[in-house]
Amino acid sequence: MTGAPTTSSVTVTPTSVDAMVDVVRDAVATTRPLRIAGAEQWPAAGHPVRATITVRCSALRGISHYTPGDLTLSCGAGTTLAELDEATGANGQWCPLLPWGDDAGTVGATIATATAGPFAERLGRPRQLVLGLEAVDGRAQRISPGGRVVKNVAGFDLTRLFTGSWGTLAILTTLHLRLRARPSVDESWWINDGDAARLHAFARGPHLPLAVHRTDGASKGLDGEGWLVRLGGNRAAVESARETLRGCGTMAPVATEIWDRVRLVDAPSSPALAWPWTPLARRVRAQFDPSGILNPGLLGDPE
Amino acid sequence: MSSLAAALADVVGGAQVLARPATLHVYRSDALPGLRALPSLAVFPATPDELIGVIRVLAAHDAPFVARGAGTGLSGGALADGITLVGLHRMRRILALDPVARTATVEPGVVNATLTRAAAPHGLHYAPDPSSQAACTIGGNIAENAGGPHCLKYGVTLDHVVAATIVLPDGEVVTLDRGDEGGYDLLGAFVGSEGCFGVVVDVTVRLTPDPERIVTLLADFTSVDTAADATSQVVAAGIVPAALELMDAATIGAVESSVYAAGYPRDAAAVLLVEVDGAADGVEADVTHLTALLRDAGARGVRVAHDPADRARLWQGRKKAFGAMGRIAPHLVVQDAVVPRTRLAELLRTIEGIGVRHGVRVCNVFHAGDGNLHPNIPCDTDDPAEAARVHAAMSEIMTACIAAGGSITGEHGVGIDKLGYMDALFTPETLDAMCRLREVFDPGRRANPGKAVPVHACREWHAVPAGRRGVA
Ligand SMILES: Cc1cc2nc3c(=O)[nH]c(=O)nc-3n(C[C@H](O)[C@H](O)[C@H](O)COP(=O)(O)OP(=O)(O)OC[C@H]3O[C@@H](n4cnc5c(N)ncnc54)[C@H](O)[C@@H]3O)c2cc1C
Repeated sequence: MTGAPTTSSVTVTPTSVDAMVDVVRDAVATTRPLRIAGAEQWPAAGHPVRATITVRCSALRGISHYTPGDLTLSCGAGTTLAELDEATGANGQWCPLLPWGDDAGTVGATIATATAGPFAERLGRPRQLVLGLEAVDGRAQRISPGGRVVKNVAGFDLTRLFTGSWGTLAILTTLHLRLRARPSVDESWWINDGDAARLHAFARGPHLPLAVHRTDGASKGLDGEGWLVRLGGNRAAVESARETLRGCGTMAPVATEIWDRVRLVDAPSSPALAWPWTPLARRVRAQFDPSGILNPGLLGDPE
Repeated sequence: MSSLAAALADVVGGAQVLARPATLHVYRSDALPGLRALPSLAVFPATPDELIGVIRVLAAHDAPFVARGAGTGLSGGALADGITLVGLHRMRRILALDPVARTATVEPGVVNATLTRAAAPHGLHYAPDPSSQAACTIGGNIAENAGGPHCLKYGVTLDHVVAATIVLPDGEVVTLDRGDEGGYDLLGAFVGSEGCFGVVVDVTVRLTPDPERIVTLLADFTSVDTAADATSQVVAAGIVPAALELMDAATIGAVESSVYAAGYPRDAAAVLLVEVDGAADGVEADVTHLTALLRDAGARGVRVAHDPADRARLWQGRKKAFGAMGRIAPHLVVQDAVVPRTRLAELLRTIEGIGVRHGVRVCNVFHAGDGNLHPNIPCDTDDPAEAARVHAAMSEIMTACIAAGGSITGEHGVGIDKLGYMDALFTPETLDAMCRLREVFDPGRRANPGKAVPVHACREWHAVPAGRRGVA
């Protein structure tokens, strides 16, 4: 999840949260900064990290709590998106993070970087899908804000603060996630030579497509430039959406798997490269990582 | 006149500063009964510049303060005990409304329903719809991260806030956003901070297109258990209702005996109010599916309301349920807690038992789809014996919700009312981290002191300066 190491580094892989606390406590005591890593699927996402120790979260893995009727699930930060998808898919559900990148990535890294994907507008950004979490901050404190219920305003919202903080405030160890039922009908279409104005209106209109994604076809084995559209809902809803979509251009059906390709090749540039270090942001950092041992440099923070 | 009052009067004019106890009386409570505290001063800025000026004067005097919107809060959050109250009801301009971008920028004193009315000609509305929407302000909604019946499908206040200008307690003005393009989610941290992080000067919110079709269903049940279990079945079936509300027999009785009578069957043990909305064809399919599903789940009858007048009537009973309960007794203690949806039936049974044991009458009317309970108790809080029984019952209810893996508040906030439950919900380290987040925004601890997070949990906060304790 984080920038490439600057120098050759030692790697530690804590197998429990207590072990993670020890790693951070040692790092504070010895002022040896940590580079925090998930599955290391996205090594060049930010600026280089000034650290010689890499902490991998991959051993904090597995689903600890899942009640399908509540549409909530808790898992370790090192759980892969593929594992999450498989467990929830068995109940016709998903946690529709579906971020840029692939499913070998970890849930922890997705939340830590708040990486959205092509369906975020419609199905929710990481900030909307995480209900609570457990984390170890830069003072080696174990913090567990939020909870497992879908609505909760108790206490100040550290869940929101840590989501998308790129491991610079705390190392996420457990995530409590909101799930949704998968749409009963889910189909995707490629439209080239589409009518841009109509597609724009369709995207904003009452049919609420899961995605209307402008893209080049070549990188996806398709012809020309066009739009990939994904429709989801009950049968009647999808049928009427499809009828409206017909008026937008020539449609060809495509397999849902095409979106895996989209997530890999169409990712926008990383927000880690454009971090606004406002006085307030510096104060946040100072409160949660006063020794500057969590991913220093990653967000372009000065030494 | 104190030097503080004089300095404030220089900013807003003498008529907009109140200092005499008699004139301050209206501000001694919010909508939470049983808790009163008189501010020492009240000041009413009318413009962003006046508000910023007021906060700077307060900072210069090292004076603590409490922001107040409409005072409809249900956790005592807007009470100012011997400190300055900054009332925002005069800041009620809609600064911009962009129907193409579907956003509006408003001052904090704009009333929730006013914004929706302003958006209506463009086929848009402001989605978060607390039942108090006719009175509560957007600023208060931001501070509490308010919800409402339609938040089941559309999300709570946080999901609709794009950016905000905040005046920090030290007088600095900052613009916060969600960090989608880079940056910590400081707006996410601010929303729900209960007035402890600063004052909203203006806020840009998302507006939502009105759905093409809306259908409301009323399902009635002969047992609360069956009704509660039916909610899980609806959600598990993959239908995302716009709203899914449960009212029990006590609530139905109160509503049907009031001017808000909605035609709920008086002999039902519970009713579910279910709304589906969206593109027409999909909605009709959902209605067919829902009707069958609710019947299979044990509903005695399912009534489907398509026309707006019929729908409005069904909703009126729900939205005015608190008001209807108000007729039963002088006060209504409104509670707010959350449990996992699959445990609703069990918790409702537990709550019933608690009510019986303490000799209080619990009326349940709540956002069942989210598992967000509102066990309300009509009572007389001025009667000490009754107040004690109500308090004991409420504590047991909270303990049961926490034990079930839930939360002590889904939308009304902690305020003063729920400070005592925070230790049961969060570890000392977590509470300490919350205090540190507050330090980022308000190192002087002058904004709404003593609310939201118990001060004893703040490890590095040594002695709290005298006069800073608020009402806690
Ligand atoms: C009948 C009834 C029904 C209700 N139904 C719901 C419901 O369905 N859902 C729900 O969520 N709530 C509900 N509430 C609770 C209440 O209406 C909400 O909490 C609302 O958001 C409060 O808004 P207000 O303007 O009245 O805020 P106030 O009560 O005046 O203040 C609440 C808090 O916000 C702070 N505050 C106010 N303005 C600002 C500002 N500009 N900047 C910073 N802080 C500020 C105050 O300091 C205080 O801590 C209900 C209340 C009643 C009486």
